[in-house]
Amino acid sequence: MKCLLIASESAEILFHWTDQEFQQNVQEKYRSSQEEGEGLPAFEDIISTLFAPIIISCGTMVYRQGDSYTSFTTENNHIYVLCQFDECLYIAVNGDGEEKEDDLRRKLYVMRKITEVMFGMVTLSGSLLRKELRPQDTEQRVRLWKHLQSLLDTYNYLRENDQSFLVEAVERLIHPTLCEQCIEFLERRLVQQINSSSQVERAGEEVLHTFILVHTKLLAFYSSRTASTLNTSDLLTLIIMAQNMYPSNVELDEPSPEVQDAESTSGSGPESFYTPEPSPSSRDSSSSEQPARGSTPVFEFVDPDIQMAEDSLHTLEISPPDPSTPRRVFLELKDGQLPMVPHSMYCLPLWPGITLVLLTKVPNIQLTRSVYSFLEDFTKLEKCLNEGQAGSGAARGQLNMHNTRSKLDKFIRDLGPNELQCVQLLNVWTEFKNRAFTRGGSGFNKDLIPLCKSMKTQLCSLYRQRFLTESGSADGPRCLSPALQERAQTMVQEKLMDWKDFLLVKSKRNITMVSYLEEFPGLVHFIWVDRSSGQIIAPSLSITERTTSELGKGPVAHYIKSKVWGLVRTTRQYLRKGYSTVTLRDGDFYFCYFLWFENENGYRLEAGDIPILPDDSLPIGMLGYDYYRKLLRYYGKNHQGEAVKCYELLTVHLGVIPTEIILQHCRQLASKLWEPSRNPLL
Amino acid sequence: MAELTLPDSRRCQYFFLYDGSKVRGEGDPTRQGICYFYPEETPSDKQDLLCSQLAGVGRCVSELSSSRVSTLRLRRCKFAIRMKDDFFWALGCSVDTPTVSVCELLDQLIDLFCFYNGPVRTSYEVNSQETLAARWTCFLSHLLPGHSPLTYIFSCLRTMDSTNVDPLLLLKAALILQACQRCPLVLAGCILFKGRVVSTQLSPELTMKVMVHESETYNKAQRTNGTSPPGSFGCAVSSTGVFLTPPELQHLQSPPVNKDSSSHSTPQKDAPPKRTRLSRTLSDTPSSESEPSDPSSSHSPLKLSFSPHLSELDSVFSPAPTQSGSPTCSPPPPPPPPSSQRRNSHEAQEESLDESCYYSFHDSAGGDSQGESFAFKANPRLNGGDGSEFDFSGPSANKTMSGDNEVCCRSTKGHMTEVKRLTPPPQTFGSNEKSSLIPMTLYLHRVNSLVLVLLVEPHFFSDTASKEEVYHSSLASLNGLEAHLRTISPAAPEPPGQYLFAHYDCIQNTLATNVSGRAVGAPEHPFVRATSLLHSHFCGTETLQEAIIRSAGTAVYGTRSVAQETFFQQLGGPPRNSGIPNHQDSAFSLPSKARHRLLKHGVNLL
Repeated sequence: MKCLLIASESAEILFHWTDQEFQQNVQEKYRSSQEEGEGLPAFEDIISTLFAPIIISCGTMVYRQGDSYTSFTTENNHIYVLCQFDECLYIAVNGDGEEKEDDLRRKLYVMRKITEVMFGMVTLSGSLLRKELRPQDTEQRVRLWKHLQSLLDTYNYLRENDQSFLVEAVERLIHPTLCEQCIEFLERRLVQQINSSSQVERAGEEVLHTFILVHTKLLAFYSSRTASTLNTSDLLTLIIMAQNMYPSNVELDEPSPEVQDAESTSGSGPESFYTPEPSPSSRDSSSSEQPARGSTPVFEFVDPDIQMAEDSLHTLEISPPDPSTPRRVFLELKDGQLPMVPHSMYCLPLWPGITLVLLTKVPNIQLTRSVYSFLEDFTKLEKCLNEGQAGSGAARGQLNMHNTRSKLDKFIRDLGPNELQCVQLLNVWTEFKNRAFTRGGSGFNKDLIPLCKSMKTQLCSLYRQRFLTESGSADGPRCLSPALQERAQTMVQEKLMDWKDFLLVKSKRNITMVSYLEEFPGLVHFIWVDRSSGQIIAPSLSITERTTSELGKGPVAHYIKSKVWGLVRTTRQYLRKGYSTVTLRDGDFYFCYFLWFENENGYRLEAGDIPILPDDSLPIGMLGYDYYRKLLRYYGKNHQGEAVKCYELLTVHLGVIPTEIILQHCRQLASKLWEPSRNPLL
Repeated sequence: MAELTLPDSRRCQYFFLYDGSKVRGEGDPTRQGICYFYPEETPSDKQDLLCSQLAGVGRCVSELSSSRVSTLRLRRCKFAIRMKDDFFWALGCSVDTPTVSVCELLDQLIDLFCFYNGPVRTSYEVNSQETLAARWTCFLSHLLPGHSPLTYIFSCLRTMDSTNVDPLLLLKAALILQACQRCPLVLAGCILFKGRVVSTQLSPELTMKVMVHESETYNKAQRTNGTSPPGSFGCAVSSTGVFLTPPELQHLQSPPVNKDSSSHSTPQKDAPPKRTRLSRTLSDTPSSESEPSDPSSSHSPLKLSFSPHLSELDSVFSPAPTQSGSPTCSPPPPPPPPSSQRRNSHEAQEESLDESCYYSFHDSAGGDSQGESFAFKANPRLNGGDGSEFDFSGPSANKTMSGDNEVCCRSTKGHMTEVKRLTPPPQTFGSNEKSSLIPMTLYLHRVNSLVLVLLVEPHFFSDTASKEEVYHSSLASLNGLEAHLRTISPAAPEPPGQYLFAHYDCIQNTLATNVSGRAVGAPEHPFVRATSLLHSHFCGTETLQEAIIRSAGTAVYGTRSVAQETFFQQLGGPPRNSGIPNHQDSAFSLPSKARHRLLKHGVNLL
């Protein structure tokens, strides 16, 4: 019983995602209210009818009360969460108890993040985003919605099963030697070769970042020297996208036992205690083959929910896009100062479960910078006009519209007046200038607000035309040539050929709890996160039907997993209220949570006050919204001049262990884990 | 009532009752549906907006989920919602009040209204909106007192500080109550002193409801300055009509020994699980003597007088006796016509009820001894308190009565619970569940600041003998108790600056704390905030036993068992820390400190 929808202010459904159960439920409800013999209207129309009163009331409350709904609950524990992002209302519903309010809000923020990465600054204009999310053309709409729905499914699956998406931090494969070799390979061979190939072959693009994923874990990450760092939020979103394109089949790509035995001697210590069951050969034989280019990416999740959701999506068969066509993604640069800069993302499957991702800079990105700064100027102006203070000298000085004017004049001149989009922009701009700057015009007052909005729409529209629809232009898609992509793929395949099976095993048993047991008796599980770099270290907790994890399989393993997931949820609630240390005695377990700050040399900094946020505020995490970056900035205000690091540690102990010992463990664990995290991610 | 200080508007922002049945058509103004809106000075367009939008969205969501909405949150306000028939209640509090607490408050508020006014629909039919608005205001002001910030988290009874009162006095209070119960028309009661509970036999929920009237009359008396000398019968004793829900009544009437089993026989769906105890005092030691678990010793003085009553009740719960001609599955009989005309106002109804009770009592069992009348006690609820049912109640009467009545009696007994809900109530009562509310009377006997409150059968006041018996048997002891309690000096105030604690007894609904009411100021605010969070967490997670949470400046320890929750904070500033795990951290010594420090407050955490 899950549902997510995006609605415009006029109660138009811009996107919806529902599971089978919700869909059936809603259809039955509608049918019962309908007269006999009438056919059932399209699901989209039903959902729109049923939700319309809520959406309209939401608008009324914002308009007249200046407040908006954030959640509803019912007596049978259905939860509705509502978020207003700009002009769109996002609603998430859960009726099966699997998600709590916080999970739903998080999902809405992730959805928002996904639209930002996919549509960039177009999300800043309500009317353009509406067109983008709900294309007029039915086939196009179905394809887009299907894509978004499967991204959400992938996210849901990962959040429920992958610790790195539980805490929203990136997990690296712990194998320093291999990691180092790979980074060197990516730098010296791959990136250099691509970037030095002919301008035509790479269509003016330049590889900025490249990384190798083994399932959701990072084997190696390399950024070119000119690139600005990729933030965790974007990286996690890209991993979701890559997983969505080439889903890893947790159940089936177990390598054969011989390989495992061979690998267990190769250095990573105590993992050898484990001997997996042999894999079924039918899949195994084919799994080592590289999937043929152009074949449909197969959705391989065994999770029944996912499968069901997939089934419902298959009702309208749409041909998949050519895999050699890159995805346009909009990423943040310079620590958020320059958001939504266009990049191309190439996802090259090496083997099932192992993917190479290239992120390239596309030409003309300086346009983004200008558009963004103009958008900011007009937003500021609109705000001032709304508050009725644009006339005052201070506001004028702060706005400096004359400066904007000259810059924008130059910007339009440089664009070249031939394109339709530029003509429109120029027209609106001329009208704006006539109103605002000439003697006969009305000057800076409220009448200018519609023109401000119009200017913003035109700017977004220009951006959209340059970066979103460009691939459809006459001279064909502009991207790295297929040959170049294939060369890159082959190079990395050759490099990793011998490691492939090891990596697949390693990704599932990256860290094992058994290696900690001797030192920390009574410790059941832990999660350690470096929030400044967005990295997680935690023993593997993958529980599948076929394989046994360290916790065994069946109820105990699932119980502990659910406890860990619950603990993360609980500690977030406390952190939201400013509590950075939490210990809980719950049933047979003792849980601890610590968050602390250090400077770069590992010197502990005094605990600072953590901002207290309302329950329905932003989700605590790094994916949909980077809470920790804000936290670091807030804390860093009192520590000017030194780089502040933020760490978190969660532990689960058996309840019989004396508290004193548990706390000692936590301390030792914190210092033990501090070391490996010093390895640079890049 | 209007003079009462209204609750802190910052915490309770809105409360309203909206009647959707009055706004059916497109053109109906929202105003018509608003039965009550707090704060009353809210501009009417804002009232309209909130009522129409919230009720509309509530209905829409209810339809989507096939279930009633229970909470609704806005960015700046958190609403608990109750929907019943066409009524829509919403109580809006500030967002930092725990959701469980807001919901609890709203339930209490509605229960309180029904306790004094009967079913909501009916009371709005027979009373003017202004009268009822004044009552809502009064109930609100009682439930949202400003005396301690913690009362927003724990809805608790104010009790005597048991560490400061001689246990013998508490025992004495318990004995007074038990003595009153010798009169079969008395169900149970409680004794209050200066607005605090000294001893109660009622469930915490009922005690809380009963206390509202007590403080009402007390306030009135204070205003008129007419505190009469305790000797004069007329002034010291007063009464008012109240309504009990079937589970409440059954709980009061069932014998202490079998409470658990009997309460299960009432599958009242939406009634909150009631804690099952009849006799209860608040101090630890004496109360154990009156625990229901040990009836042989504790109830010895009552045993004799109670026995006929108990045996009658047993027969009520047992299958129909052999003599019954009709099988137990026979449908409930139509309600007998009321023996007297009922008038439409609540007060009049009560009066007429008394009359009718009185007459029917004398008609049917007039010749019988007083002892026979014990059995009448169980019956009034069967037909919503209609007087005529007394026709079939006495054991001897059964034999002499006509066949019709006998059938009626048998089937009613056999199907007690069903009958309670199925019997259509006479006349004015609507067909909703609340119609099964049973009228009762509250008897108050005031001796200066001490009040004896008893829940009695409605015809108690017409039974002069019983009334006098109760009055005279308790008068002397009440005077004595009052004199003793008056001399107790208030407990020496805690030396400030050591620690803060709150100890909540979930069974008795009592709170012991050293957090003072007045200062919502600096040192106590973090404690209240942490307590609120931990309490919500304890409510949501059954397996959670203890927790320590620490922010940069505060560390609070919380622990709970089935019966209680305790929260503790050491004051005096723990040295600033880095937040990194450290077993020498002072926060982790809180459990042992709490165990040690709280012993002297009678809190045993071992």
